[in-house]
Amino acid sequence: MSLVTVERRRLALPAAEIVRFGIPIALVLVLVAFSAAAPGFLTVANVTGVLVNNVALAAIVAIAMTLAVAAGGTDLSVGTAVDLGSLAFITAIGAGQPVALAGLYGLLAGIGTGLFNALLIARLSITPFLATLGTLFIGHSLQQLTTDGGNPVYVPADRIPAALAVLGHGAVLGVPLALWLVLILGVGARLLLERTRFGREVLAVGTQVEVAIHSGLPVRRILALVYVASAAVAALAGILLSAHVNAYVPYAGNAYLLDSIGAAFIGTSLSRNRRPNIPGTILGVVLFAFVTNGLLLVGWNFYWQQVGTGVLIFSTLALAFAGPRLHA
Amino acid sequence: MPPSAMDRGFETVPSIALTDPAADPDAWLAGGAGTLAGLRSAGSFLLVLVVLAVFAARVPAFLGTANLGLILAQSSVLGILGLGLTLVLITGGTDVVAGGIDLSLAGTHGLSAAAFAGLNQAGAGDAACVAAALGTGLAVGLVNAIAVLRLRIPPLLATLATMNICAGLELVITENTTIPAASPLIEWLGGTGPLDVPVLGYLLLAVALTLAASLRLTALGPRASAVGAHPEAARAAGLSIGRYRAGSYLASGLSGGLAGIASVAFLNSATGGSADMLLPVVATAFLGVVFSRRLVPTVPGTLLAALFVGSLTNGFQLLHVSTYWVNGIEGALILAVVGATAASAKGHAA
Repeated sequence: MSLVTVERRRLALPAAEIVRFGIPIALVLVLVAFSAAAPGFLTVANVTGVLVNNVALAAIVAIAMTLAVAAGGTDLSVGTAVDLGSLAFITAIGAGQPVALAGLYGLLAGIGTGLFNALLIARLSITPFLATLGTLFIGHSLQQLTTDGGNPVYVPADRIPAALAVLGHGAVLGVPLALWLVLILGVGARLLLERTRFGREVLAVGTQVEVAIHSGLPVRRILALVYVASAAVAALAGILLSAHVNAYVPYAGNAYLLDSIGAAFIGTSLSRNRRPNIPGTILGVVLFAFVTNGLLLVGWNFYWQQVGTGVLIFSTLALAFAGPRLHA
Repeated sequence: MPPSAMDRGFETVPSIALTDPAADPDAWLAGGAGTLAGLRSAGSFLLVLVVLAVFAARVPAFLGTANLGLILAQSSVLGILGLGLTLVLITGGTDVVAGGIDLSLAGTHGLSAAAFAGLNQAGAGDAACVAAALGTGLAVGLVNAIAVLRLRIPPLLATLATMNICAGLELVITENTTIPAASPLIEWLGGTGPLDVPVLGYLLLAVALTLAASLRLTALGPRASAVGAHPEAARAAGLSIGRYRAGSYLASGLSGGLAGIASVAFLNSATGGSADMLLPVVATAFLGVVFSRRLVPTVPGTLLAALFVGSLTNGFQLLHVSTYWVNGIEGALILAVVGATAASAKGHAA
């Protein structure tokens, strides 16, 4: 047994230190390469566009995912929470409710999704992966049933409240609201995970569940709270999404699912002990977004873009996970 | 005990796959060797039988040979992919994050189908098309194996990246259109064999039988399970963990290639959107776990899960239940089966 341990740790630690900067290095390489190849890449307009259109919502969903990953699970229903949040929000707006109240409905839809997950995971002891997979399937049906098979719901132009445009397109101090929300949620989640007792408990459950149980942590309650929080955060992305396009588009949230998983796990390479962490997740989202945007600007057609994104992400992963596995 | 061994301690009790150790340490620790283990999966079987009985009672044609054959054929692509994933789960362990998983399977199947249909349209013969489809699958499996074992990328991430690459290459080949395909092989595969059962149904059964036989009748099965569930014991016994895991990714890739051919035969074309298969494949393989007595991934379990999902879709169509309900009811049933299994595991411990 000790032989195994020695072999696993054979590589010296400095390698691990270099590996920690795999994603930042990849991001810098991507930025340098694309600004050389595409003149329009490193302009204020383009960077802002990427941050608002490609990063903001994906980052919020990825923050939600990071919470679940930090607790040792995966939340495959983040996209469902986005969609149900969006559906409740747009339905309320369409019914003439004020934006604030509609937002509350959207958030409640997300919390409802989270409570369902919490019931399955904490009460029925179903593993998070399967529980949220079930929620995802049920959410898919729910959306088909409420939209007659997947038709978008638009807010009639004459019913769009002014506040909706502010929420979807407004800015404070020149920074779009969506990015403020990323900042607030990101800092909040970071502080929650790293600076509070609850956050440490979440990470304890995620890293060593056995130890957490024997230390007397209320593991069920912690898991329940994590999945409610994850869905609530994802629903915020849904509300923002529909405020941006004045519509609810069925299954739109699922587009964020795989990227958010990728970002949350790729981000673990940033932490010394390979733990999920918010800065790593956000860097992952930013990397994905700029790769996609860069390939678009250098004129790759849509089909090759996806291949290129895949190859670049693969290379980043190879860089980020080269060397010893501290957390094997 | 060194910390790394502690970490891997979770993998040493196979039956934790479905019951969350966090929720109930006693049930978790007591799992695996229980005398009531059989009862746990009996609950899942019962639920399946009840559902099938309801279908049969409402629509007599449900149990006709023609319809059963149709279910087999409709389940063939999902089933072959699920069986491929099962091999990876057996050899890599069922921990979704640290264990084995192959998310690229759905993409591999789409890319292989596109390669087959593309070559077919270019005038190539069946042999070349089959070689291209299976070769594509093997190549993706090789990339996954290298990524996971040499580059040490966690399987979840490595195969997520290869899935994106496959989906992209599929788009490059198909340009997001449907590529029709016609050939003697496609015609034969898409046709009906003995007993009114489609050839694709036989293909699924043949794949499952081959895999089950090679895992049951040779040392391959116990060794692969050992590598997945007790890597340290396997290593101590002199097994090359890397070689078994690499083999599982290659086999999984190959199953993706085979599923690609099957889907071309089923649809007479290669259609895009294969990535939509990803979650159903994962669901099938994990659902299959509840059909095994020790709650581990098995070939018969996955076959049964694929056929169950297939008969649900088929049954709902016969009952004229709106297809909008299918996903939700499937999801709810998965949760019910898994939840019932988890609950009886808890009761067993108490």
